[in-house]
Amino acid sequence: MCNTPEFPILEKQNWLIHLHYIRKDYEACKAVIKEQLQETQGLCEYAIYVQALIFRLEGNIQESLELFQTCAILSPQCADNLKQVARSLFLLGKHKAAIEVYNEAAKLNQKDWEICHNLGVCYIYLKQFNKAQDQLHNALHLNRHDLTYIMLGKIHLLEGNLDKAIEIYKKAVEFSPENTELLTTLGLLYLQLGIYQKAFEHLGNALTYDPTNYKAILAAGSMMQTHGDFDVALTKYRVVASAVPESPPLWNNIGMCFFGKKKYVAAISCLKRANYLAPFDWKILYNLGLVHLTMQQYASAFHFLSAAINFQPKMGELYMLLAVALTNLEDTENAKRAYAEAVRLDKCNPLVNLNYAVLLYNQGEKRGALAQYQEMEKKVNLLKDSSSLEFDSEMVEMAQKLGAALQVGEALVWTKPVKDPKSKHRSTSASKAANFPQPLGSNQALGQAMSSAAAYRKPPSGAGGTSQLTKPPSLPLEPEPTVEAHPTEASAQIREK
Amino acid sequence: MAAASPSDSDGSRAESREASSKWLDAHYDPVANIHTFSACLALADLHGDGEYKLVVGDLGPGGRQPHLKVLKGPTVLTESPLPALPAAAVTFLMEQHEPRTPALALASGPCVYVYKNLRPYFKFTLPQLPPNSLEQDLWNQAKQDQIDHLTLKEMLEGIREKAEVPLSVQSLRFLQLELSEMEAFVNQHKSKSIKRQTVITTMTTLKKNLADEDAMSCLVLGTENKELLVLDPEAFTILAKMSLPGVPVFLEVSGQFDVEFRLAAACRNGNIYILRRDSRRPKYCIELSAQPVGLVRVHKVLVVGSTEDSLHGFTHKGKRLWTVPMPAAILTMNLLEQRSRGLQAVMAGLANGEVRIYHDKALLNVIRAPDAVTSLCFGRYGREDNTLVMTTRGGGLMIKILKRTAVFVEGGGEVGPPPAQATKLNVPRKTRLYVDQTLREREAGTAMHRTFQTDLYLLRLRAARAYVQALESSLSPVSATAREPLKLHAVVQGLGPTFKLTLHLQNTSTARPILGLLVCFLYNEVLYALPRAFFKVPLLVPGLDYPLETFVESLSDKGISDIIKVLVLREGQSAPLLSAHINMPVSEGLAAA
Repeated sequence: MCNTPEFPILEKQNWLIHLHYIRKDYEACKAVIKEQLQETQGLCEYAIYVQALIFRLEGNIQESLELFQTCAILSPQCADNLKQVARSLFLLGKHKAAIEVYNEAAKLNQKDWEICHNLGVCYIYLKQFNKAQDQLHNALHLNRHDLTYIMLGKIHLLEGNLDKAIEIYKKAVEFSPENTELLTTLGLLYLQLGIYQKAFEHLGNALTYDPTNYKAILAAGSMMQTHGDFDVALTKYRVVASAVPESPPLWNNIGMCFFGKKKYVAAISCLKRANYLAPFDWKILYNLGLVHLTMQQYASAFHFLSAAINFQPKMGELYMLLAVALTNLEDTENAKRAYAEAVRLDKCNPLVNLNYAVLLYNQGEKRGALAQYQEMEKKVNLLKDSSSLEFDSEMVEMAQKLGAALQVGEALVWTKPVKDPKSKHRSTSASKAANFPQPLGSNQALGQAMSSAAAYRKPPSGAGGTSQLTKPPSLPLEPEPTVEAHPTEASAQIREK
Repeated sequence: MAAASPSDSDGSRAESREASSKWLDAHYDPVANIHTFSACLALADLHGDGEYKLVVGDLGPGGRQPHLKVLKGPTVLTESPLPALPAAAVTFLMEQHEPRTPALALASGPCVYVYKNLRPYFKFTLPQLPPNSLEQDLWNQAKQDQIDHLTLKEMLEGIREKAEVPLSVQSLRFLQLELSEMEAFVNQHKSKSIKRQTVITTMTTLKKNLADEDAMSCLVLGTENKELLVLDPEAFTILAKMSLPGVPVFLEVSGQFDVEFRLAAACRNGNIYILRRDSRRPKYCIELSAQPVGLVRVHKVLVVGSTEDSLHGFTHKGKRLWTVPMPAAILTMNLLEQRSRGLQAVMAGLANGEVRIYHDKALLNVIRAPDAVTSLCFGRYGREDNTLVMTTRGGGLMIKILKRTAVFVEGGGEVGPPPAQATKLNVPRKTRLYVDQTLREREAGTAMHRTFQTDLYLLRLRAARAYVQALESSLSPVSATAREPLKLHAVVQGLGPTFKLTLHLQNTSTARPILGLLVCFLYNEVLYALPRAFFKVPLLVPGLDYPLETFVESLSDKGISDIIKVLVLREGQSAPLLSAHINMPVSEGLAAA
């Protein structure tokens, strides 16, 4: 075979090393590598290369880096070795060094999408988004890969450019229509923009290809909740519950499903589990506060809401809910302060002003109540102009009663705006409201729930002056729509991970 | 039998029953001692008697004792040792005339061993690669002692840096040597001509000029130096040579050599290259984002298994058709061809012990083996047309026969919603106590809230008072003064009676060093003795942690422990900057004695 027995063929068992490696049989692989390296006195480049790959898989990145550098010395003309050196540097977080080595490798191999792609990813981490985009587009130009699309979309998302991100993901889905990750991400983006039809379409597609896709199920489930299909959503959540039993958004959504079905105890226990899993998530705290308000456990509600405010101090509705809790705890002073803060922060929710007005009225401060009432009218008019929102009947009734009590003369034009079909996409002028995905045609989610909370303070039969607290027998209102807003938010939150 | 492997859920049990209805368990030997890959399995009528044998290129346990094994039914017919590990085994017809007994080719190292009637017939060795001419010159000069060793080394290194053609092993080994060893090495080896030899990584067959089943076939070899060779079946000359950008791992060929053929080669760089008859270089390239673990052609679709635990289908032009995720890592793949029904499907052996059979995207059948299946082969064995031979990771051999009545239907695998959808949600239960508390809160919420708020204020007040007190008397281990921002923590080591007390002092200011500090220990002298109760602290550079060690001797033998106070002072000031109370442990050494 070979006339120089003292020089074994260096590559003799490379094929075996490779076969073991691709089968993920790393123990066998290491044994062969060891043997091969002993026989060749460490000259077998491929054995070192695979050893380094295994080290990296095992998390010993520094060792792998050193071995790859050895490989690069053994055959300096090989772009592959440099690529791996750079990859290890990248994993060690040395992005600048990685970029240098990738550039070096790019000199040896001009047409490698992987180099361009990885350069792009390095630039993302260095926050040089323009360069990153250039490199990723280069990579796409050389060869199209799902991963590159995902990274490119990510850049646009990091820059806050949803439309461009959607554009990229659309192209990606066109290129590989069965990639569930792409489909889910696109669906979630549409969801965020409030284009529910398309969102549902893409999420549904993702679920067709992979019925156990965690993100897609959560997002689709929250959309079902929006439409009140709580039982269907719960069935879907079962799949997630067995796959990812410790997901906070999942338990939040399940909790709000139960809330929608008026199983309040189950709702609270699910939300508490979500809260246990993610104690710093203000949305879960918000929902907990809301459910406790519904259950008339005002003291508990106060704690959850104040915790939520600590994490999210910029949201008017939270202060309003806190104020409702405080009112019920007979702490009018603080309730007023909370309302004042809510009014200061909130720009478009008429409910905040209405609730404040009711409180002031009950306290006998008619002038203040009138001011808030007028503020509310302004907001209502603005909303009517800008969108086709329907106002909650409870809220309208309440406002009319208050108006009568304040003797504001002409009843505000609460007439439900005629639904005009094309205004289903909210116009941009309702900027604040844009933060809350709204269910099709139905009215503002938060608003309704809060009106239900406010209704406890309703002056009986509009007879004005009675400022004493009347205990409502049970909840007359349906708070389901609250459920809708929050799960969607929660699922949007997943995407950000 | 094998299908009765431990299956926990009802669904899988039903499925395995269904699976067992398609397959007859012919043979299962868990300790057959066969360790091999799908590439080293072949089924052929080696003796021309109509009885098909199984040829196994066995690597042996741990890849140490390579053997060529030929099995007839469940028994080993012949077993002969091999000089090196087999990379691939194929059977092929090498001549036209009768009787048409196929020859066996075994690729191993740089050679192909050809057997006829199970007797060694021919050995083909890959031609030597041309050596680097510069390198050759250098060694010639060394031979005539015209060049000294250091220059030789430098020149060789220069070649390694730049040259297209890599160095020979001899030169590489020389470059590794120390100066003292060079002399002997050169003298020993200078007379030899330098050689570069490559090895075979994969092998398959390609029909020569007829598409018939019993037509002559060429051998197609993939080599470590990124080439594909086609060998003539009769003369064993190289008919064609093609080069690839990567080292081939799996080959898949269709067509005839003399007419038209397509060759797909999965390479180590994660790409699959597709070549045609007239192309010396790849015509199409499929870039996978992971390593391929198997390559099978089903009709016109190339099915590739990747390390990302999925099967991909590609056209012959490299367009991706579909992707199917797998529940576990793919270990091996092969083709299942049921000629009587004209069915071609892909079998994939997974790390979880399943063998899944797919027709395009549709799962046809799942076989559950008791161990992970590492090699698969389907075909005629003995006198049975549709036999599946599997070997397992532990060295077991399993033979199953497809029932003649069995029909594979699409959707024979998993359909419908995932089973998890039927399980109930695990909603946390609430106790009676919880409900009672809820009711109480509804009734007395306001009072609860007020009590809570009052207590909270009291707590805050107390905390603030304690804090102020600590600040005033410098009792805290962190100094708050702007001039000397310091941090102190102490560690006590040892069992006693002698303890080691280490104070870690850190200057937390950003730039300013601190000078002129003193440390003072206050302790009960009846209980403890310290060598120095008072000492100076060196200059403290910002950010560094200064461990100051001292020994503490416990004097009491009654197992009493006390507090030692540490004070850090500034020279000339009586109020301490900061202080720490160290709870000393009980001296165990004394208690034991």
